[in-house]
Formats: sequence, structure tokens, C-alpha cells
Amino acid sequence: MEAGPVKLSLDRVEKSYGLWTCKADAVFTPGVHLITGRVGSGKTTLALIAARVLKPDQGAVQYEGIQSQTLSFQYPEYHITGSTLEEEAASYGVDPDRALTLARLVERRSEDPFRFSRGELKAFHLICLSLLPWDLLILDEPFSALDCTEKLAASRRISENKNGILLVCTHEQHFLPRTDYLWEMRSGLLTFLGPVPEAVASWESAPGPIRSLRAQGIFPANLTQQDILEAACRTHD
Amino acid sequence: MIEIRDLVYGNLCIPELTIHSGCTALIGKNGSGKTTLLRLLAGLSRPESGFITLNGMPLVPGAIGFVNEYPDKNALFSRVYDELASPLRFRHCSCEDVKRRVLEAANRAGLDHQLDRTMDTLSGGEKVLVALLSAIMHNPDMLILDEFDSHLDYDTQEEADQLIASSGSSLIVRCTQNMDVAAKFGEVIVLQRGSVLHDGPPEKVFAALESTCCYPFAWRQGR
Repeated sequence: MEAGPVKLSLDRVEKSYGLWTCKADAVFTPGVHLITGRVGSGKTTLALIAARVLKPDQGAVQYEGIQSQTLSFQYPEYHITGSTLEEEAASYGVDPDRALTLARLVERRSEDPFRFSRGELKAFHLICLSLLPWDLLILDEPFSALDCTEKLAASRRISENKNGILLVCTHEQHFLPRTDYLWEMRSGLLTFLGPVPEAVASWESAPGPIRSLRAQGIFPANLTQQDILEAACRTHD
Repeated sequence: MIEIRDLVYGNLCIPELTIHSGCTALIGKNGSGKTTLLRLLAGLSRPESGFITLNGMPLVPGAIGFVNEYPDKNALFSRVYDELASPLRFRHCSCEDVKRRVLEAANRAGLDHQLDRTMDTLSGGEKVLVALLSAIMHNPDMLILDEFDSHLDYDTQEEADQLIASSGSSLIVRCTQNMDVAAKFGEVIVLQRGSVLHDGPPEKVFAALESTCCYPFAWRQGR
């Protein structure tokens, strides 16, 4: 029997901490959904709720057709369970040799994961995730701590998503993936801005390069570095 | 001015390097030794051999403001107020003085509504802001910042930059993966596999990196 289309619904979800409340009433269908917002606006809370790691005070989180889901925490050290990098790869259920080869870390397979820099650890974690099948993948700040080469690689892998629902919570400025839908956390409230590129006009927490273009009345076709450079070049036509 | 001579620590090997007063950006690939160098500059690690001096004197860790790249590793206390007050309390400032300075600083950083929260309930970016404010609370001569900006959005980063500028620190070394930020600094140091690949003013350093993704995006965009 063929599986139906996948869908994630956040049905009037609310989670409060003191006076602050995170609210979401949204449906996510397959594609890359970029969720941005200011520090403390509720991106991580939303990611935890969507992954069913955090139970909302009100409302419901509903999965339809989602057979496999993964949450990537902001801090890569939260994921560590293996005492060597090889064990760490195996803990994801992926082929360690393949993961280590892709990460160019074959010679360091026996080292303690905590001996690696945070950027190295984050890159390795994202590579392991990329080798897993998923219907729903939630990435909380996938680009933090990565150098530009790894950011580009991560962004390309994310852009290749074809079938699943991919939620990317980030405030990355320069290396965003090709994005289908734009969302914004505004003081705890999840707000749908629309499909890209139309949504760029109302994007309050847009990265610096996009703000700079927008101020000149220029809107990129999408959000990747290439899209922004191409849009910037149009100013010199 | 920081002077490094014949420094060896793990894979880090720097025969000679001078970091002048002002703002210096430290950049490089993941695993190139940036954090290792910053911890040495902050006096949190000691060189296996060689030496580091600040204005000709040995480093004094307590006199240096430091922000760790792991937000969770910065906090000593559970409540935001206590975390911000700790650098002043450790210096035996009076209770009245501590309270006044914490409230002033928190207000300036927009953290005045967060003072009674516990650190574990803050977002990653909020933790970084608390760590930054705590690091500059005692107006250190030198500020060492390890990639704190990777947890901040564009607007908060601008606000953090203003906080840093107001710290009064005469020497700031800041690791960042945002090359547009690094391009605004007085000097840039590039590490590669534990060695200094380039150092000097941004124009000179980034000219050598023009064919890489490390070249400032704003410079490319502005062409």
C-alpha cells in the first residue's frame, strides 16, 4: 500500500513560561520551511513542540503519514551517546564508514567526540542525519558553529529535500537553503509569511544581505547565497 | 598589545604573533585551533611551551572578560541576576553598587525583564547575551569572545556589538564565522591546522581569501 502525503499540524498549540507564551496554529506540508525570529522569540520551543519532545499546555500536535521523524538540537553535544566518533555514527543507525568518509574524519574514528571542536561535531552530526530516512526533520540552528564551507554543504543538502517536511529554525545570515515557505516567530506567535520569494517583502527578521537588497527595491528569487548575489548583480545592469 | 612567542599547545604552533590594541577577528575552518588559542589568550589554558604577554606582563585570567562558545558553559549561577552580579561580587563590590550596576547593565541590554529567570529557561541567544553582559560587567581591559554571534539574529547581533563597544575594553579578540563582521575589525587572523595562515588588516587578509567562501559577502554583494 502506498503511503499518503505527509502533514504536520499544530492545532492551536500554546506553551507558557511565566508571562511569555509560544502560540502556533499551522499546517506544514512537504518542502523546506524556514522559521526565523529574534532571540527568545520561541523558535526552539516551537521546534521541541513540533517534534513532540515538549508537550504543549493547550492544543494538539498531529502527524499524518509521518513514519520517521528526527529533531536536531541547537547544540551538537546534546546528541552525543558514543564514546568514539565511530560509535557515535553507529548510534544514529548509519554506516560509520560512510559518515566518517563524508566528514573526512576517517583517521579520527577512535577519538572521543568531546575532543572535537563544536563546529566539527555539528558538521558530523548533520552528515549523520543526512544519511537517515525521514518524513519530518526539524533542524534547530543547523548552521551555528559551522565554518563557511560546512555551511554551504549543509545548505545544499537541505536544498535537496524533495519529499519530506523540513523545518529549519535559524538566524543564519549568509548561507540559507533554497526555501519553499517562510515563517516568522513574532513575540512567541508563529506567523506564516507565505511562499518564497513573495514572502520576503514582509520578513521582519530578514538577514542583513536581504535587507540591504530590499532597501534598494530588489527581491531575490530565493534565499541562497547564489540567489542573493544574482539579485545584487542586477543592480549593476 | 598581546605578544605570542614560540607558543606550542596541542596542535597549535605559533612562533610569533602580535595582536595590537583594538578589535581583532579570529577566523578559520572548524577544528583549526581558534578556541584553543582563545582559551590560551584568556589564561584558561597554559602553553606547553612559549609565552603570551599582555602589555609586557603575564596574563591574569580574572582581569579578562571571556565568553565561551558553548552558551551552557558560561553560567555559574542559576538565576540571571546572580550570574550578572557575580563578577562584581567576586570583586567585593558593595551590595548597593552591585544592584545598581546590574540593573543599569540589564536595562541597557534589554534583559531587565529576565533578571528573575533561571538560566536553564533562557533561549540560546539569551544565554549568550547574559554571558556577554557578565563578561563586560567589570570593564575588563581585554575581552575574548568565542563565536558568541552564531546564536544571535541580525538585530540582536547589532545590539551586542553596541554592548561590546561600550565595554571600554582596549583589546578585543573575537572569533566569528560571519566574515562581514570580521571585515569591520582592525585586524584579522586566519588559523589553519593550528598555525597562523594570514594576519593583518582586513583588506590584506581577505584579498588572499577572495576565491574562497570566506570572502566577506557584503564586499562581493557591493561590487
